Amino acid sequence: MSVPAPAPLPEELAPPRYLEGEVTPGALDDQVLAFPERKPPRKWFVAFAFTAALAAAGFGFIGYTIATGIGVWGNNRPVFWAFDIINFVFWVGIGHAGTLISAILFLFRKTWRNAIARFSEAMTLFAVMCAGLFPLIHVGRPWLAFWLFPYPNQRALWTNFRSPLLWDVFAVSTYFSVSLMFWYLGLVPDLASLRDRTTHPLRKKVYTVLSLGWRGAASHWVHYEKAYLLLAGLATGLVLSVHSVVSFDFAVSVVPGWHMTIFPPYFVAGAIFAGFAMVVLVLVVVRESMDLRNLITLDHLEVMNKVILGVSCLMAYSYFMEVFTAWYSMNPYLHHIFRQYVSGTYGWAGILTLCCNVLAPQVFWFRKARRSYPVMILVALCVTVGMWFERFVIIVISLHQDFLPSAWHVYLPTKVDFAILLGSFGLFFTLVLLFARVLPVIATTEVKAVLPGAQPRHAGGGHE
Amino acid sequence: MADDTRPQPPVSGRRFWISREEGPGEPDARSAVWNEFPEGAADPPELPADALSRRRFLALLSASAALAAASACSAPDRGTIVPYTERPDEVVPGVPNFYASCFAEGRRAHPVLVRTREGRPIHVEGNDRYATAPGKAPYRAVADLLGLYDPDRLREPQNAGRAVSVPEAERLLAEKARKAREQGLPVLLFTDAVLSPTRARLLAELRKVLPGLEVVSYEPALGEGEERVLRSLFGEAVNLEPRPEKAKVILALESDLLSGEDPALVRAFAAGRRPEGRREPLARLYAAEGRFTLTGSRADARFGVRTGDLGAFALGLLRLLVGEHGVSLPPGAENLPWPERPLSSLLGAGAGEREAEALARDLAENRGAALVVAGSHLPAPVHAAAALLNLALGSLGKTLGVWPWPTAVAPSGRGEAEAALERAAEGRYGLVLFWGGNPAHAFPGHPAFGEPRREVFVRIGLHEDETAKVAALVLPEAHWLESWGDFVPRPGLKALRQPALRPLYPAARQGEDWLLGLLRALGGQGAEDYARFLKERWRREEWPPESPVPFERFWAAALHEGLVPGTPPPVSAPSAGALGPHLCGASTPKGLELVLHPSPALYDGRYANNGWLQEWPDPVTKATWDNPLLLAPADARRLGLKDGDRVRVSEGGRSLESAVLIQPGQREGVAALSLGYGRQALSVARGVGTNAFVLLGREGERVLRGVEVEKIPGRKPVPTTQTHHRMEGRDLVRSIPLKEWARGEGEKREGHPLVSLYPDQEFPESKWGMVIDLSACVGCSGCLLACQSENNVPVVGPEQVLKGREMHWIRVDRYYEGPEEAPRAVHSPMLCQHCDNAPCENVCPVNATNHSPDGLNQMAYNRCVGTRYCANNCPYKVRRFNFLEWTAHKREPETLAFNPEVTVRPRGVMEKCTFCVQRIEEAKVRARVEGRKVADGEVIPACAAACPAEAIVFGDLKDPESRVSRLARSGRAYKVLEELGVRPSVTYLAHLRNGPEDSE
Repeated sequence: MSVPAPAPLPEELAPPRYLEGEVTPGALDDQVLAFPERKPPRKWFVAFAFTAALAAAGFGFIGYTIATGIGVWGNNRPVFWAFDIINFVFWVGIGHAGTLISAILFLFRKTWRNAIARFSEAMTLFAVMCAGLFPLIHVGRPWLAFWLFPYPNQRALWTNFRSPLLWDVFAVSTYFSVSLMFWYLGLVPDLASLRDRTTHPLRKKVYTVLSLGWRGAASHWVHYEKAYLLLAGLATGLVLSVHSVVSFDFAVSVVPGWHMTIFPPYFVAGAIFAGFAMVVLVLVVVRESMDLRNLITLDHLEVMNKVILGVSCLMAYSYFMEVFTAWYSMNPYLHHIFRQYVSGTYGWAGILTLCCNVLAPQVFWFRKARRSYPVMILVALCVTVGMWFERFVIIVISLHQDFLPSAWHVYLPTKVDFAILLGSFGLFFTLVLLFARVLPVIATTEVKAVLPGAQPRHAGGGHE
Repeated sequence: MADDTRPQPPVSGRRFWISREEGPGEPDARSAVWNEFPEGAADPPELPADALSRRRFLALLSASAALAAASACSAPDRGTIVPYTERPDEVVPGVPNFYASCFAEGRRAHPVLVRTREGRPIHVEGNDRYATAPGKAPYRAVADLLGLYDPDRLREPQNAGRAVSVPEAERLLAEKARKAREQGLPVLLFTDAVLSPTRARLLAELRKVLPGLEVVSYEPALGEGEERVLRSLFGEAVNLEPRPEKAKVILALESDLLSGEDPALVRAFAAGRRPEGRREPLARLYAAEGRFTLTGSRADARFGVRTGDLGAFALGLLRLLVGEHGVSLPPGAENLPWPERPLSSLLGAGAGEREAEALARDLAENRGAALVVAGSHLPAPVHAAAALLNLALGSLGKTLGVWPWPTAVAPSGRGEAEAALERAAEGRYGLVLFWGGNPAHAFPGHPAFGEPRREVFVRIGLHEDETAKVAALVLPEAHWLESWGDFVPRPGLKALRQPALRPLYPAARQGEDWLLGLLRALGGQGAEDYARFLKERWRREEWPPESPVPFERFWAAALHEGLVPGTPPPVSAPSAGALGPHLCGASTPKGLELVLHPSPALYDGRYANNGWLQEWPDPVTKATWDNPLLLAPADARRLGLKDGDRVRVSEGGRSLESAVLIQPGQREGVAALSLGYGRQALSVARGVGTNAFVLLGREGERVLRGVEVEKIPGRKPVPTTQTHHRMEGRDLVRSIPLKEWARGEGEKREGHPLVSLYPDQEFPESKWGMVIDLSACVGCSGCLLACQSENNVPVVGPEQVLKGREMHWIRVDRYYEGPEEAPRAVHSPMLCQHCDNAPCENVCPVNATNHSPDGLNQMAYNRCVGTRYCANNCPYKVRRFNFLEWTAHKREPETLAFNPEVTVRPRGVMEKCTFCVQRIEEAKVRARVEGRKVADGEVIPACAAACPAEAIVFGDLKDPESRVSRLARSGRAYKVLEELGVRPSVTYLAHLRNGPEDSE
């Protein structure tokens, strides 16, 4: 008995297509793994020169800061933390999307992640590197920053385990190392493919070492899959924990505006939010410049944008709950600081945050907007700016007017502050550019797993 | 290895053996156990005796490697340490020595003690034998320690810009004087106030050999109104001595009574504001003023009166007293004419007619216990009116003492000084000696200072300042801490000044020594040096010859105590009738009035090179490193000016440019500018602020009328240490009306119980704590300077103050409440509260800040990495961060000013108040050596020691009977931000307001 062919679905209801056109495993390899073998195009060099110059300038100013003291920044009393910690939290936040995509979505068996997991995870690592820079250089005596590690020493000095800053050290370093392992593990089969393809002797040597003797044997795959699953489980916990711990820096303190119980989930949501926006931004560029339209489809971007919209609503709820808690607390200090968020010297920053993080993503309720490059780039930029300013609001505004009005003081960043912030962007994009040239930006093995016919399926369907 | 030095097993007792060889018996087996390497196993037996064995070679190799590594690791020592091979008498390394000395400035002298360590002064405090203000020193005396170590000090005499030796300089000086004498030209000595009887004697001796000697003794900071009025009233130069302790009602007419410049006045006032019981009456302070002075900010009722109207205000008050309260005018004053203006027309915002009525009633009811004081910068009519009020109220001899000017050299007025300078400009003097003061700064643009290095000009001074630049011969002067002298700080009381160290620079000699040299060179009779001259005069004139004490003992005792009591010569009776001409001089103000007053920080500018004072926030405006034009809010609005705008101020063809700061409470139509800034020489002083002496006219009038203020382009933000001035309705500084206190209200407000996750800390021996009585504190900010000197607190400069990075460990918060035209001000010192549950401690990742077993919140600078988390989490924001390196570049002599007991902090490190832990430890060591407990009151932190109001009390909170514990139990006690549960160790006692409506 033949089943009548179903009427073609309207476009909006058609299942998303995460591959376009005919993609065979061989073609996929040729498309993705060929990049490291080719000489980069001119525009790559232009972009690289720009970002590397930015990074170099940033490091120059970091050197200047270390030589002179952080007095060259705008930090003052009472705003002892400013751009340094804003940038730290900002970059840690950016670093959330990658692991979320590669680990949590992996556990949820969301196969659309396969094409973009590698790239977003690399971004995670680079973002965490940028983030890790700031706690190191922001201390008054960076050459003694190793004292934050509890290492045995003859002076019998020990760290203070009650300090959230110490928790930060552990949280961020653990997150970085697990993310690195997870990312590297996923890379191994692809590195082996690269090794097998390349003819250049030096590249061959390098990829041989990096691929750790992978031969693609069945036993390799068994171990690989197990390790990957375990690490995904481990990383999942860390995605949630690291930004919670970062939020403890604030939540555990007594500063009005910091001392809020909502901070851990609120920070995690914000981090995912900022991370997804950054992934969308970079993905669009990669998709176009590296000609990966068939592997990274508009449907990929659309599903990302849906996440952004969802998290934006979560952010709106967090903001609302924060304000409600502050109001309900009857705490005059808290009332004051929440008024400052939208009305004082820096009120514009609070308004900007709300516009960027709550209003702008609402445009994604429309399918057209979700699939439009200009709109998604604009929204992603808005979210990136908005999330940076959210941390500005939390850190600078809360600090500049706390308990005793006699100690209040406005904060003005200096040129060095901006130079180091731009330098961190330079570092991030330099690393992204390097990554795009020397390593496979798409996990070919994982994409092969979702190629048509790659998985055994029952004839006649049922469920997928 | 065979010799039997190994341990022998005990001969008896239970014993376990681990192997057969070790067991008893068999000596050879036993030795085999102890001899790990049998013969031949380690060293080849055939090795010659002097050869290096393998083991020894390895040992030597590793030892030399270790030594090489060790020596390579340690930084090379950058200095040499030389112990005393012959220890000077009385110097014990590590133990301070104290020398009694005397500080003098303007018309005041104040006995002090100089704390020295290993021969160098490190702190100035009050002389505890000085009964009027025991242990209290004027804040600028404390700060002038830095002046001693000023690297800009002159080190060698200079002739025509070339360094010369001391004998050569002396010869040149004598030559100039001889030439003048031969030519029959007069000699001008232009100096500051001569307060020292011996210095006056020296000048008299000098006049014997230089008959043409003219002495101009001019203090540019001070007005001349008071001087003129008192001279008419008493027929001679006199000093007034306000005695607030005897007054129940005080009226301050724009007076700086409570500025702390005379700690005795603050102490006396504060003593009357510190009730033990609830029914005790308090002294009441009224203030009438155009500016907003510190004294006015502490007044119980404050009248906003234009400064030019203050004379009329006082006379209106007198009219009210005479007309309605039965006060009679003093004899001779019954028929004095004076302009009549109704009081109500003079009053601005703030206290009004009802309070004026209350003031009149209070004064009338407290005849003999009332006191009227007028600011030294005010013109003669105000002083004349104040004098009439005091005479009518019977204050003289009770709340107001009068004593004759201590020396024969009476102060000169600005007119006199200017005339002398004009003659000098015309070349009428054969020699002009500028000693003390800085006339080229005080008379800016004067023709006398038009050309550099005038041949007849000689400068004796500390620095190569503006005046030194116009003199051919410049003689370096010793600092007062290196000098001898005598003064009369209080009626009849003589105080000695003795050097606390030899002059840092051998060529620097005190001015008297230079003059003494001149005296001898001109053939006069004089001792070899001023120390002997002083002693000789004391032998002849101060030592009572009938005394059974031999002079040497008398002299040693006098030097040791620093003080010799006596009785002042009497003053003739006042003749009130002589006040007539002064009273009529009262004029009605027109246009904007500009009040020029001495700077609370720099005085007349002599301290302009002192970073501590430059960075010392003005107690009212909190401005540092500048003298902005202070404008009333209404005037600023009218002129369209904001804080930090630049303006040109002009009057009668003279003008200057200045930044603007809006001063709440200042009367509309009154602007104020402080003198002493705008120096043109010296590395710290140059270019800070604007020189307001430019506007001083010939008569030295300090209240200028019809001043024009116009906005000019550009902005110059004023570095202030406080940028927000309202409490925002928070319960931070408590001020309660006296009647509520008397009724038992204003008790501690109990919040909800505070719980902690952590167990309470235990303090086994003592728990240090502090009580600050806001009813006594006047906000003078002297504590800042004492703390800065004691704790090596660095100076950061105006740019850093603008960024909020000043380093003071203690600050005085000043808040305004009420309308900005007539606000009420409160002051509250704020320092580390040494919380039991210190929020800074648990957030430090490296444990650099922690709690001591005696309740101190400690900072381990060495351990601090500089995350600054502690400072973020400090609700009081009293932690200070070294954003940049402030001290490492300092060289001698600046480094000599450091207190060796306190670590100098490098950049990147957090610091804060330690409760002067070094003083606590010193007391603990002393107590332990003497085998007792630390006594109550034995530990006094620098701020408490310097506080003239004695508002700060420190002690052990664990001892329920200590003074601090008793005060902490007072009904007025509260803690700032108590509701946070941080449990601060500093308790504040609420301020009591005693305005007419505040008491029953």
